[in-house]
Amino acid sequence: MNAEQENPRCRTKKMTDPMNLIKETLARGQSALSEYDSKRFLSSFGIPVIREGIAPDAESAAAEALKIGFPVVLKVTGRNLFHKTEVGGVVLNLRGEEEVKEESGRLLKIQGCEALLVQEMVKGDRELVCGLTRDAQFGPCVMFGLGGILTELLGDVVFRIAPLTPWDAQEMMEEIRARKIIEPFRGEPAVDMDILVQILVALGEIGLQYGDVLEIDINPLKIRSNGKPVSVDALVVLKAGGPVYR
Amino acid sequence: MDGKLRPFFEPNSVAIIGASSTPGKPGHEVIRNILANGYAGRLYLVNPKGGEILGMPVQPSIADLPAGIDLAIIILPAETSPQALRNCAAKGITHAVLSAGGFAEVDEGRAQIQQELVDIIREREICVLGPNTSGNISTPHRFTSSFFPLGKIRRGKVSYIAQTGNFATHTMKYILTSENFGVSRVIGLGNKIDIDESEALEYLADDPETSAIVMYLESFKRPRRFLEIAREVTRIKPVVMLKGGSTEIGRHAAVAHTAAMAAEDRLVDSMLRQAGIVRIWDYTHLILAGKALSMVPLPRGNRVSFLAPSGAMLVVLADLCIHLGLEIPDLGPDALQRLQEISLPFIRMRNPVDIWVAASVKGVEFGYREGMEAVLKDPAIDAVVPILMLTKDTGIPSFDFIIELARKYSEKPLLVTFSGERQYMEDCKEFIEPASVPTFPEIEQPFEVLSILARCRRAMNRPQ
Repeated sequence: MNAEQENPRCRTKKMTDPMNLIKETLARGQSALSEYDSKRFLSSFGIPVIREGIAPDAESAAAEALKIGFPVVLKVTGRNLFHKTEVGGVVLNLRGEEEVKEESGRLLKIQGCEALLVQEMVKGDRELVCGLTRDAQFGPCVMFGLGGILTELLGDVVFRIAPLTPWDAQEMMEEIRARKIIEPFRGEPAVDMDILVQILVALGEIGLQYGDVLEIDINPLKIRSNGKPVSVDALVVLKAGGPVYR
Repeated sequence: MDGKLRPFFEPNSVAIIGASSTPGKPGHEVIRNILANGYAGRLYLVNPKGGEILGMPVQPSIADLPAGIDLAIIILPAETSPQALRNCAAKGITHAVLSAGGFAEVDEGRAQIQQELVDIIREREICVLGPNTSGNISTPHRFTSSFFPLGKIRRGKVSYIAQTGNFATHTMKYILTSENFGVSRVIGLGNKIDIDESEALEYLADDPETSAIVMYLESFKRPRRFLEIAREVTRIKPVVMLKGGSTEIGRHAAVAHTAAMAAEDRLVDSMLRQAGIVRIWDYTHLILAGKALSMVPLPRGNRVSFLAPSGAMLVVLADLCIHLGLEIPDLGPDALQRLQEISLPFIRMRNPVDIWVAASVKGVEFGYREGMEAVLKDPAIDAVVPILMLTKDTGIPSFDFIIELARKYSEKPLLVTFSGERQYMEDCKEFIEPASVPTFPEIEQPFEVLSILARCRRAMNRPQ
């Protein structure tokens, strides 16, 4: 029920098979899932992701925006487009169909743009980060910390080795220096710990079960004003030189 | 538990390969150690010269040994160790301690000799401790393979695993001469070509003679396996670890607890937390934690009361407690009332306890005894630390009352430290430590150790 609220596409499309997403991507010769596929991949493990749709042109972008509800965010997407903000490929806070169409026209002209991502604008002041890395000695490790631009700035992140118990996940939240961010904040309720625990445990499971997944980065994991975490941007990197599916 | 390591700790017969008649040589001191500890099994000596050492016959070669020997202690140079190991295997010996250093830790050529040993171990399926180790200790079996002159080793219930020769040598000497606690097993891992920290921990987990485990490690041979084992052990026995250096890069000095920590050390830290192992950062704490774990129970929680004869100490140590994650809760009405009775009306008594007035006006023994009992009785308190004032001028109490209180409130750790004259501190230590009340020469130490114990308790109580 929750997953459907988070991602209405679950209703219209049949459940995503995460292995197929990996195979298809590798077959195309790409070493990372697209932003859109990354979130579909994570969603199939119960990790909440924002409502978003992919649109090839301005008309369908406007239609997606109507489905999602205004305001929306519009982003360029393409297999060779890595720095979307730097090329002016991200527009925030679009409030109506006309605005979406107008901006879509502009974005589609950006070199390398193959389609548009239409996303809900998530309200909430808190940004976290979580992800998966692999260590030569320790194997798959789950990361959690302060998100957004502060991740690089403060490096306030902690790690756990997969598999994680719910207790391990809870301890991670107590371990970051900015641990107060989990508590009630500026009139917003405390972060929903159960969901956060579930996300961290799930990331560890992915690390153990999917050898093809080299790294996962969910940044930001935004906290909605009701305290529920949701993945706004995500990247699933695959193992270079790993098995290639044709 | 397959008992794979048992012959190292409970050998019925031991052969010393490289036995020496020259006092001071490792091949001689190891024999003296074994005799000093009253080892009850059969002991065989091997040296090509034959003859007698310390009244015992010497066999000229490994081939001359009888069949069925449990353990060989090979005290030979690195170059001749592989052949000796091969000969032991041929004799049906399945377990060996390889004392010699000078292998992979030196250079590439030496690394080749080490590889030769690895091949023999694999081929002949023998268990090897070392090389480059000062051996092991097993006081319940009155046995040691250490070649460092130790004499009789005091028996205790804490066991050590150390990736350093220190523990079965001069650190053990320090514990034996300066402390009043003993050890159960000590395992010097050395270069870990066969037996590693995971197997050592697994052995101690099931060892009825071990109630707590203290470790010093510089690397993990199989970190994921270690985590798997440690996760279970720490629910039944406290495990404390000093992790030296960092794993792969090795050149980072451990900049403890800062963001500058090497990435791999962060993972080590995470792993230890997940494992329920309490990480410590001071070499001294290897000994002090061992002492406390030998003498007192784990506290139920982290709520501390302490009694000091000085306002400055109250302030400074209260700050320290907070930094260490210890709480100093408010006392209950009964404790407060009693403290007020033993002090003077214009002194407002609280936690931490200012014991100066009570001790100086009504006598040191009375003040400390009544003050300690008041807080020990309080259900809000998990552990108590008196900073005992010991000067000739203020009067030296009989120390019996401390032991009596420790026995009466045996479920709560009582850790003693001092202020005053060194001589009386030593007297008190020698009097109360044999009765299982630990003392600490520096006033910060009991709090540092209590925080280690409280973390052990938290690890033990953590949910599945």
